[in-house]
Amino acid sequence: MTLRQLLLTGLMALGVPAFAADADVWRAVSRVGYGPSLGLLARVAAASDPRQWVLQQVDEAYAASQQAPRIAPERSLFNAPLPELFAGWREERRLRLQIRAGDSGTPAMPTSTNPPMGFFADQGPENFSRTVARQAAAWRLQACSQPEEENPLLARMTEFWFNHLNVFAGKGSVRPFVGHYAVHVARAHALGRFEDLLLASARHPAMLYYLDQVQSVAPGTRAPQGGTRGLNENYARELLELHTLGAQGGYSQTDVKELARVLTGWGASPSEASGYRFYPRLHDTGSKNVLGQPFARSALEAGEREGEEAIRMLARHPSTATRVSERLARHFVADQPNPALVRQLAQVFLSTQGDLRSVMRALLGSPDFWQAEHRLFKTPLDYACSVLASTQGAQDLRKLTLTLGFLENAGQALHGWQTPDGYAVDAATWLVPEALTRRADFALAMARQSPEPEFLWPHLGPATQDALRRERPAVRTGLMLASPEFMYK
Amino acid sequence: MTQSIVARRRQLMLALAGTAAGSTPGVWAQALAPSAGGPAAAAGRLVLVFLRGAYDGLSALVPYADPHYYSLRPNIAIAAPDGTAQTALALDRSFGLHPALAPLLPLWQSGVLSVLPAVGSPDPTRSHFEAQHHWEVGIPGRNSEAPGWMNTLAGLQAVSDDRNAMALGVGEANPLILAGAAAVQRVPRGQAATRQGALGDDKTRQAMLKLYAGQDTLSQAFRAGAQSRMQTAQTLADAQADQPMMAANEMNAANNGAGTVQGLRLDARHLATLMRQNPRLRLGFLSAGGWDTHANQGAVTGTLAQNLASLASTLVELRQEFSRPDDMIVVLSEFGRTCAENGSRGTDHGHGNALWLLGNRVNGGRWHGQWAGLAPGNLNEGRDLPVLHDFRGVLAQVLRANLGLGSVQLERLFPGFAWDARLDGLMRA
Repeated sequence: MTLRQLLLTGLMALGVPAFAADADVWRAVSRVGYGPSLGLLARVAAASDPRQWVLQQVDEAYAASQQAPRIAPERSLFNAPLPELFAGWREERRLRLQIRAGDSGTPAMPTSTNPPMGFFADQGPENFSRTVARQAAAWRLQACSQPEEENPLLARMTEFWFNHLNVFAGKGSVRPFVGHYAVHVARAHALGRFEDLLLASARHPAMLYYLDQVQSVAPGTRAPQGGTRGLNENYARELLELHTLGAQGGYSQTDVKELARVLTGWGASPSEASGYRFYPRLHDTGSKNVLGQPFARSALEAGEREGEEAIRMLARHPSTATRVSERLARHFVADQPNPALVRQLAQVFLSTQGDLRSVMRALLGSPDFWQAEHRLFKTPLDYACSVLASTQGAQDLRKLTLTLGFLENAGQALHGWQTPDGYAVDAATWLVPEALTRRADFALAMARQSPEPEFLWPHLGPATQDALRRERPAVRTGLMLASPEFMYK
Repeated sequence: MTQSIVARRRQLMLALAGTAAGSTPGVWAQALAPSAGGPAAAAGRLVLVFLRGAYDGLSALVPYADPHYYSLRPNIAIAAPDGTAQTALALDRSFGLHPALAPLLPLWQSGVLSVLPAVGSPDPTRSHFEAQHHWEVGIPGRNSEAPGWMNTLAGLQAVSDDRNAMALGVGEANPLILAGAAAVQRVPRGQAATRQGALGDDKTRQAMLKLYAGQDTLSQAFRAGAQSRMQTAQTLADAQADQPMMAANEMNAANNGAGTVQGLRLDARHLATLMRQNPRLRLGFLSAGGWDTHANQGAVTGTLAQNLASLASTLVELRQEFSRPDDMIVVLSEFGRTCAENGSRGTDHGHGNALWLLGNRVNGGRWHGQWAGLAPGNLNEGRDLPVLHDFRGVLAQVLRANLGLGSVQLERLFPGFAWDARLDGLMRA
């Protein structure tokens, strides 16, 4: 007996019709996870009902987040301790300078960023950061499409928090650290407390470099090269505008500047396990005031604690509760969620001091989550992960390469959004005529040499089933994955 | 961009088809000469290049005669012209071009390039995402739903009386400025635009179309997408076959990363080809990120200089295609950057910024509008260039001159704004 037959028999023994055409099941596997696979459908079927299974995932995802993720050993360099990542990056830069200096006249470096062959092959120490960034992207795809390897809700929450606290692999100094950031910030705190997540993000080299916090120092600080240095508002502004309160959340330009002063001294450190260090010499010891709250009334009080207190204060702010709740509701429930749901989630957020398990339980347990009229159109990443899951492609390098290319062309490359607002997740952004036809290309390419995902049949409408029955078996799998039903989650 | 903004677009796209102007023309409408614009101008084409992230206009258009410029920017200022490539290229006695923009100098000298040094939105936000939203819907301060003004423009009967797309966006998946009820052709960034993919195979295409045969929104979108994609790929492939060199260059450009200023050049070529081959397309939209230079932006060389050089070569190429009497290329950003450099040799979010116009109808070879200099008392909140001209006032001048828009139509694009008569010499009569 094959595994599939075993599962089928098991399901029927439980009195569950094989591959039940159940809208709740589709929603459970597609919104809490990234779409149906045989294994995931069986797990949902094993629960008393999909609604209960969905709620169970909150605790299971939390438990999983406290364990190290499963990463293919040959592609795990991206998750090495931070001092190793710093060392690899330093060596890369040294080699590049050497190559540039030595080989005048000939092209110094391979210019192609996306070689079709040997995509994950070790590219040598001069390509360290690109190699680890690609490994990180491959892990994300494996995590989202293999529910046996990664709890599906945890993969989703990792995506959500990475996007909420976005960093960009295209910035050279950020690139070596994006995968580590995904694992140790977004995943590790995915269902913990929001303020711990925010602090972890604030201290991670990926964020410290991305929004230039490493360069923001007390005005008048002497630079090693001579001259003086001072504030850079970039991180402080986005911390207020995007990570916490929101643009209309109630802060001023003065608050941005004062917060930047509070955070001076927070920097990266290649030798620390955390990759972070507070540099007292770079800290502005004067008194500051953020949102009416005084910080460091005296130079003696000044230091790292101010920044930590400020970040916790922002994390607990009512505007933050509303902003985070609204974003969660848009990700999981509807492009335009019911304001009452957002208010309810914000109340839970505030009354539990930002306990994300409580917020997620409220969200996944709400009637809004299950309402049929709340349709969600898959983003390119949703779509890519669901195709990978259905075609069992996560272990196939050809398919992983195809998928990364699809995401790049679709405009949602993994770790590839340049600005700190993160990717949009709504149909208004992604339901674009030409882009739909590109999904079809991708589906047909991915379906080659894949077994037909028969478990999808009951979830397809009669018109689609009818059209598919008339097609050659060779293209049927691809057409199933390109069908209208498969575009929604 | 806040989530609430983003998520409302779809509703709009579906709901706004029948929305009429509704509003009455603003006070400024009476100030317009009744014969403004006119049918002769109606054949013009407009290409808008949006530099997302707030480019540093004070490095592009260098106010070298103002001593405050050099005291505010001790490390990143562009030196006053001395005739070498290490300094600004003099435009007149006040301003010079960044040397990386040297390819634009002949356009300035031939009188088809102009700039307004201090343009922006009257809304004070320093959020990229809010400000971009305001510029794209044409309503400063409006964070809630509204169609993109280029979409509204595409839908105006006076400009187009058929249902075919007259607006084309190359690059971003679905920029807000093009979102709305009117048909728009959207083409992806980079080399992907040239491929028909699976649709190129008849059998597969027929099978796909059967799956999307319904009258629902998704099916209609798919069929429109299939048709548009086949045409786009065919047009671009034909152009490449005619110019093998271009094809080779495209391969290089495609590897230089999506969404960057380098990628803009390839998108611009695609846009030029598609608009040349399809005369119905009269509005084009392009964008590039990478302008948010908070740290180590460089001066004569460096990150920003490289971006400016790429932009200049793209604009020169665009001008070759868009050089008919009523063509216009507009280059803008959502706001400017701080006049002073920050503590890390970059610049933070500011307010007013320089906006560029390239076309035969602009009164070029000189700059236009107000300029107050960089003395401390003249800066917005003591730190930024002030907004001395509302961006809508500038765009209205262009739209009237190049596309023949009248006051009622302009009011639909930019509800409630005031005509800026101080700019009446901007466009050639």
